[in-house]
Amino acid sequence: MEAPPVTVMPVTGGTINMMEYLLQGSVLDQSLDSLLHRLRGLCDNMEPESFADHELVYLLKGQQGNPFILRARRSLAHPTAPWHLRYLGQPEVGDKSRHALVRNCVDVSASHSLPDFLNEMGFRMDHEFVAKGHIFRKGVLKVVVSKLSRVLVPGNTDNTEPLSLSYLVELSVLAPAGQDTVSEDMRSFAEQLKPLVHLEKIDPKRLM
Amino acid sequence: MSGENTFSQHCSWNSVFLCFDLFFIVRMFVFQRLQPVNRSRMSGSPAVRVSIESSCERQVQEVSLDGVETYVPPLSMSQNLAKLAQRIDFGQGSDSDEEDLNGESRESEWSKQNPDEEGPVKFQPCLWPWDSVRNNLRSALTEMCVLHDVLSIVKEKKYMALDPVSQDPTVAKAPQVFQLISKKKSLATAAQVLLKGAEKLSKSVAESQEQRRQRDFNAELLHLRSQWKLRKVGDKILGDLSYRSAGSLFTHHGTFEVIKNTDIDLDKKIPDDYCPLNVQIPSDLEGSAYIKVSIQKQAPDIGDLGTVNLFRRQPKARPGAQAWHSKLEAAQNVLLCKEIFAQLSREAVQIKSHIPHIVVKNQIISQPFPGLQLSISLCHSSVEKKNQRTSPDKTKPDDHLYVLEHNLHQLIREFHKQTLSSSVMPHPASVPFGPKRLRLAGPMAYDKAEISSLQPSDGLLEKIIKQAKHIFLRSRTARTIDCLASRIEDPQIQAHWSNINDVYESSVKVLITSQGYEQICKSIQLQLNIGVEQIRVVHRDGRVITLSHQEQELQDFLLSQMSQHQVHAVQQLAKVMGWHVLSFSNHVGLGAIESIGNASAITVASPNGEYAISVRNGPESGCKVLVQFPRCQAKDLPKSDVLQDGKWSHLRGPYKEVHWSRMEGRNFVYKMELLMAALTPCP
Repeated sequence: MEAPPVTVMPVTGGTINMMEYLLQGSVLDQSLDSLLHRLRGLCDNMEPESFADHELVYLLKGQQGNPFILRARRSLAHPTAPWHLRYLGQPEVGDKSRHALVRNCVDVSASHSLPDFLNEMGFRMDHEFVAKGHIFRKGVLKVVVSKLSRVLVPGNTDNTEPLSLSYLVELSVLAPAGQDTVSEDMRSFAEQLKPLVHLEKIDPKRLM
Repeated sequence: MSGENTFSQHCSWNSVFLCFDLFFIVRMFVFQRLQPVNRSRMSGSPAVRVSIESSCERQVQEVSLDGVETYVPPLSMSQNLAKLAQRIDFGQGSDSDEEDLNGESRESEWSKQNPDEEGPVKFQPCLWPWDSVRNNLRSALTEMCVLHDVLSIVKEKKYMALDPVSQDPTVAKAPQVFQLISKKKSLATAAQVLLKGAEKLSKSVAESQEQRRQRDFNAELLHLRSQWKLRKVGDKILGDLSYRSAGSLFTHHGTFEVIKNTDIDLDKKIPDDYCPLNVQIPSDLEGSAYIKVSIQKQAPDIGDLGTVNLFRRQPKARPGAQAWHSKLEAAQNVLLCKEIFAQLSREAVQIKSHIPHIVVKNQIISQPFPGLQLSISLCHSSVEKKNQRTSPDKTKPDDHLYVLEHNLHQLIREFHKQTLSSSVMPHPASVPFGPKRLRLAGPMAYDKAEISSLQPSDGLLEKIIKQAKHIFLRSRTARTIDCLASRIEDPQIQAHWSNINDVYESSVKVLITSQGYEQICKSIQLQLNIGVEQIRVVHRDGRVITLSHQEQELQDFLLSQMSQHQVHAVQQLAKVMGWHVLSFSNHVGLGAIESIGNASAITVASPNGEYAISVRNGPESGCKVLVQFPRCQAKDLPKSDVLQDGKWSHLRGPYKEVHWSRMEGRNFVYKMELLMAALTPCP
């Protein structure tokens, strides 16, 4: 009897088959305050919340083809909160008319033993970073403004160094596949932030 | 020789010039007597010298009999001048005129004779003997020329008008007149300026009133925007009535449209309530609505809830509030009522209870207690139907439970707030939005019970039913206590209700006392905690008794407590009176069986031990008081052969019942006190 072949493709179908719609941009440190002020006005009427996360990116290299990437993230501000494991697929090609980058996305909450588990499975940590910033929400839209920092000593999140003099701004929505009205909403929201930050559809492959 | 020139030199001497804005007046002293020049007297007497120096001494006007001299007041400058001018005799002056002419001729002759000597003579006047004569002549000539000029000017009347010399008062008056005139004029100008200003002001007031009447659309829109959410869709302006931004999950879109009210004839008079802005609300939100909560009793004997009979009036529009504002507020209220009702009916269908909730059209019926019916209904009356609806409402007794209606509104707002706050931001930030319990459930390996424990517990309907139960239980408890208090006079029952209550719990302190003996009979103090389903009674000594919602239970309990109180009171009284307690029992095992609780009994002995009183008190059977006499007092007791000795006569003998109802005294304890007092021997 033969073992079922291990596929590198995620499970599809049902509620798991969610797509992430993403727009990205950046803003210089000096203009962060005005952007936050603007976002506070535009987003849902909630207390502005800051976060500090530590993200570890794991690779599973197969014999051929691209490595399989998983992102494990934990909250530094809430140490008791569960870890978050995330798989992000390749950006969908085609359809230039779509305003946002669309990629497959699987989110799993995990217990604190996730790094050990991944290591046991054969994953190897590729790189890690610390993201600190603010999170906003407007309906289904999620806006994350974060500063990425390099971890100087592996595993020690206290000793970090900022990667750049700017903040990363991400506007994302999780939606089932084929809901292109979402990208319209995203575009109009991005329009409202226009003079402060230009949120664009950035293909990570081209940057590599 | 130029007369004009000379005149101008001398004019200042003869006249006074006064300059004003508009007038120019020259005043002159007029020659009173003008005589033609008499040629025949030309070569007459020399010129008269006129001295205008005033004497240093003042003239004495009068010397009174006591020798006091009254002086004439000194003349002022102008008076003096006028006086002097009057004294001039111009007739005499004609000599000098003659001399002038004479001199002129002589001078001309002389100048003809000595044309070459003129220059050096000027430099050496004293050397020449005729010098004084020449000077006199010269001055006379000058005067003559002046006179001639004056006369010619006066005759011409082109350059100057001559007035008669005015007396001093007029001289003083003239400036006053001018002051008056100038004052009047400046006052007039000031008044004019003021009048102009007033006119402008009144004009602007009228304009602003006009503007207020014709409030323009944009100002109204701005006003609307400051209070309501608006957005522009195409060429329409849409507003949001819904509570969605406050956390509501109701699916009604709640959109209204802003319309420019243009169907008004601008030529006609604009009505007072005209507003250029109008709002179009969805037809299903029109009119007014309210949620009506009431508890009906299926059996008529279940307590009255004491609901207030208030006729529900239409809320009057606040003065100054725009028509659209009250319209929108009403529509929003309709929306909220609909949301409450939708939420309640959804829960009514979902929740499984022993007696299922019934949802019929616009009414939800539930049974909180057997025989009791809680009905929650949505009353929505649109404007047209209002007239038909109000008339039956008036006749029917109004049994609103306003507290619950208010609480329903409060609950839905809490629900809104909960939905807003439940969407906490995820941590780490990459986690998708969603309830926290779902995120925790996997990693923490929660089972079903644990997950459900994280969920918000009660729905709107369950909460309101619980509140209704509590309100009902509380009012029935109050009624039971009041009934007992009014029915039974001895002992007295007092209830102290606490003012601060929870929606699900309130408490009352019940004291059972005897009138006049409040200080010594404090044995029964009960704390009743009224909950949703049951009443917890906390006794003074810490015992806790739980009663159900049944009215009878509470009543029986209180009755037994009251009966116990009497026995306790006897015990307390015995202490005060110096009697000895021989036995005491709260629950007597002997005698007739009581239907409610147990009878209690006490036996007390008098201080010297001769008498004993025994009291048995039951909630149902009432009290029975027996007195034991010493043997010696018992006459009907058969003589015993054994107890021959006299000392045995002090043994207590048989009991005799006291006809308690015939005893004097206003209440039980008082009677008992009298009895004890009667049985206590005098010292």
